[in-house]
Amino acid sequence: MTTNRVAEETTTAQYRPRGRANRVLLSAVGILLAVVWIFPVYWMINSAMLPNVVLQSRTPTFAPFGGSFDNFASVIQGGTFLPALGMSVVIAIIVVGCCLLFAFLAALAISRFRFRGRKAFVLAILFIQMLPAEGLFIAQYKLMSSVHLLNTVLGVSIIYIAAVVPFTIWMLRGFVAGIPADLEEAAMVDGLSRTQAFMRITFPLLAPGLVASGVYAFLQAWNEFTVALVVLQDNADQTLPLWLRGFIQASASRAIDWGQVMAASTLVAVPVIIFFLFVQGRMTSGLVSGAVKG
Amino acid sequence: MKRKLASVTAVALASALALAGCSGTSTDTGSGASTDGKGKTITLWLVGSDTPDTLRTYLKDEFKKETGGTLDIQQQDWGNIVTKLTTALPDPNNTPDVTEMGNTQSPTFTNVGAFLDITDLYSSLGGSDLLQSFVDAGKVGDKNYTLPYYFGSRYVFMRKDIWSQAGVAVPTTLTEFNSAVATIAQKNPAGISNFSGFYLGGQDWRDGISWIFANGGDIAKQQNGKWVGSLEDAGSLKGLEQLQAIYKSASSAPNDAKDSNQYIYLNDDDAIPGATTADASTPVSLSAATIMAPGWAHWSIGTKGTADGKVTRTWDDKTFGVFALPGNDGKPAPVFAGGSNIGISAKSKNPGLSKTLLKIIFSKTYQEMLGKAGLGPANSKYTSSLGTDEFAKALIESASNSKLTPAAPGWASVESSGVLEEFFSKIKDATDLKALAKEYDAKLTPLLNAK
Amino acid sequence: MRPSSHDYHYSKGGDVTAQATETRTHTLPDLIEPVRRRRRRLTPYYLLIPSAVILVIAMGYPLVWQLVTSMQQFGLSQQFGQPAPFVWFANYVKLAADPYMWTVIGRSILFCFVTAAATMVVGILVALLMNAVNRSVKIVIQIAMMLAWAMPVVAAMTVWNWLFDWRRGVVNWVLTTLGLPFQDHNWLANPLSFYFVAMIIVVWMSVPFVAFSVFAGLTQVSDEVLEAAQMDGASPRQRFWNIIVPIIRPVLAIVLLLQVIWDLRVFTQIKLLQDAGSIASQTNLLGTYIYQLGTGSSDFGTASAVSIFVLVLTVAISAFYVRSMLKEDA
Repeated sequence: MTTNRVAEETTTAQYRPRGRANRVLLSAVGILLAVVWIFPVYWMINSAMLPNVVLQSRTPTFAPFGGSFDNFASVIQGGTFLPALGMSVVIAIIVVGCCLLFAFLAALAISRFRFRGRKAFVLAILFIQMLPAEGLFIAQYKLMSSVHLLNTVLGVSIIYIAAVVPFTIWMLRGFVAGIPADLEEAAMVDGLSRTQAFMRITFPLLAPGLVASGVYAFLQAWNEFTVALVVLQDNADQTLPLWLRGFIQASASRAIDWGQVMAASTLVAVPVIIFFLFVQGRMTSGLVSGAVKG
Repeated sequence: MKRKLASVTAVALASALALAGCSGTSTDTGSGASTDGKGKTITLWLVGSDTPDTLRTYLKDEFKKETGGTLDIQQQDWGNIVTKLTTALPDPNNTPDVTEMGNTQSPTFTNVGAFLDITDLYSSLGGSDLLQSFVDAGKVGDKNYTLPYYFGSRYVFMRKDIWSQAGVAVPTTLTEFNSAVATIAQKNPAGISNFSGFYLGGQDWRDGISWIFANGGDIAKQQNGKWVGSLEDAGSLKGLEQLQAIYKSASSAPNDAKDSNQYIYLNDDDAIPGATTADASTPVSLSAATIMAPGWAHWSIGTKGTADGKVTRTWDDKTFGVFALPGNDGKPAPVFAGGSNIGISAKSKNPGLSKTLLKIIFSKTYQEMLGKAGLGPANSKYTSSLGTDEFAKALIESASNSKLTPAAPGWASVESSGVLEEFFSKIKDATDLKALAKEYDAKLTPLLNAK
Repeated sequence: MRPSSHDYHYSKGGDVTAQATETRTHTLPDLIEPVRRRRRRLTPYYLLIPSAVILVIAMGYPLVWQLVTSMQQFGLSQQFGQPAPFVWFANYVKLAADPYMWTVIGRSILFCFVTAAATMVVGILVALLMNAVNRSVKIVIQIAMMLAWAMPVVAAMTVWNWLFDWRRGVVNWVLTTLGLPFQDHNWLANPLSFYFVAMIIVVWMSVPFVAFSVFAGLTQVSDEVLEAAQMDGASPRQRFWNIIVPIIRPVLAIVLLLQVIWDLRVFTQIKLLQDAGSIASQTNLLGTYIYQLGTGSSDFGTASAVSIFVLVLTVAISAFYVRSMLKEDA
């Protein structure tokens, strides 16, 4: 209960602040928060610019003065980054696309309909997420081997979709349930076609939910490690997390070049950032908030 | 007892089945090497990037020349090789034909019948010239399943400058070593706070185990066909006492420090934050006069400098030195061998071609190529290819008396449970070493025999 | 909403392909439209087909395998083709009798609750903060959250390990520079401070998701309603609890539940921290314990039993909550 209390009090003080002083204070808190959250990211990029020798130093080097892009260059010249990037992008697109579509349909079913087996389904998709994934790899391998999908993008994608879709359904279900069903009808009374009504009324209301679950699906597909490890046997076709982990463990007979590891990590993060920048606009765009609030 | 028997039968059965399966499904003969590889591809898993590209190319070319077939080399990572082998080796359609594995992983997989019996090839591939401790790691009964691929070793890295400032000479016995590092820590000639005469991480059993070995002890032994922990044996206890003395008076490494990155403590660096004024005259982050590490650590030790505008580290013979940890019997102290084994999957559909590949790998040319790349060749006849510099010398010398982990079926469980790390971390503060050793023997024994 | 008396009219099986084809005749908007018409009783099933099929294929088999294996003696020999003897509940009994298992369970539950609570509080505060500050500050916060969220887990863990490194970590450097006695302080050696570091990392990683989800939920709260409530004299606290919370409740509920689920089986962060320091047996949580038993020791039978146990435990922890959630939307 203590935690709730904290939330409550801070909220009462902060929600829709009145005075100028309050606003300034809140902005300061916001900036401080941003700095704390961004620091590890900054540290990754900073380290990526520095040579390995400097990174082992006892005094932290806070800014990459005298740093270079050498680490990035040698990582990319390694030749394995681009194929892995391609693989990860394809898988992410398949997973996000299928997940959103499947989950949207399922979310409609469970939030707009009452039917036999509904509760069972809702519970099943909830509980299925509670199974720890660490012990599943043998079964996943056997499954993929028996249907001849080992070493294929499709094999990896199928497992990812199954792992992510329960969550996406739950997330979207909340959003679909939050949209008054009458809204579209009202729009149609105003002369819009059903398609127009959906695109102009329902879809914008759903957009934040789609974006949030899409982002989640994307990140899961982007970061997942174990399934990719067992399904993709050859390090030559691998996804980015495998590629990155390979960087850290490349050699038993050589020290790890942490500068290059950080450069590699940064390269893995960049596509996510691009993806986020792309959807971020949608999440907070005036159109969406306008539609919701107007 | 019952379990062990069952497992032995199981193994025998598994290998019989595996062999039967092979001759049944394979198109080549299954016995003896085959050179008819036209239009066929076999897969070789190499772990880590240790095998250089030139060697890989050589293998592919030679294989093509000998058999007309294609060799597909797939790279795996050390951190995940167990997961990969666990899933892929039992799967006839997707198993690699030949695979490398860590030498400590070999007994685990060999015991469950994962590999093809290659006893018939053993003598033609090198026989008794092959590194025997590794050969043993791939043996069940008197049958050979996996063979050594390459070896590495651990030796001592020292700061010559600190050693001479402390007035101690390079030791020739383990007893001398123990007192030398204690003296250095006590004198602390560079006046650095928290200085280690010998930096030995609290959980670093892979280096610390040498003290147990050197005093005639071991981690485990076989008794009536069953593996039991032997940390409480007299020899082991003597080693543990010496280790405790080192932890107490020579090393200031944290209790949970592991066998990784020790080399950074040997390097000079830069200012210590919050250094007291007394320390200010020695603005270095150097924190140890001696470490023990796998041989490749020498790439990361050296004096800081710049070349082409980049910060570099260069080994400097005046400041740094290496030697094999001495034992008390005139020989080097036994150290943990590093390195890997190689074997043919029992489920391979091309056992004949795989055997041809092994022949190429164990040929003089390839063995010498390994040596020139700094990897200890499996065949001791070709060790000279490692060269004659001090690192090669220390590598060969320390490896001459190296030991492997017990070839117990449950060894993988011992490593994964972290029980040895835990045991070592408790040595320093133990008031009764014997009781501690007993306690951990009791934990080791069931793990060792687990299947 | 449709009366439930129609429920039993749904067809029993039938040709799946035919049903799937039929689905295409509905346009999306058509489906969204509130259900008043006839011939809709099969619609929900069509809608569920894609998700259900993929779940049954890709999750059903592993789940069944896990369940079966948990009742077998299944080690590496069994993986390599030996018959696996059925031992029924012996694996479970062995676990239940093992005090270490209970220690790990206790730790995991505690870690899960504390971490999930911290994540929720911080996440909600960040969401409210984003809603309250002006546009530019909001964008700064969003970008920071986004970048943190975008960071690959392996990379993030490497960086965090550096930050808390006993010898050259920034955290110790800063504290030492501030004059505190933290030189060479080892954060991971003591299990409590190990969990503290783990919690900071997990909270850091999870807050962006919570914050963005809650923020997305907040966009459904209309300003006019809030203003109206304010004019009626509702205090900010009342507005938060009586207007905002009920509206974003579905989002809060699912986000909290997911945090509990994820934090109970947290694996990667703990594993990578253990690789950096600490004594594994003192810092194991359920995720790393399963990994140690399965991948590490090849004792897949016991590992599966722990997995099933975690499943049951999670169901138990969330049962009350799930029931109320289901009742609410029934």
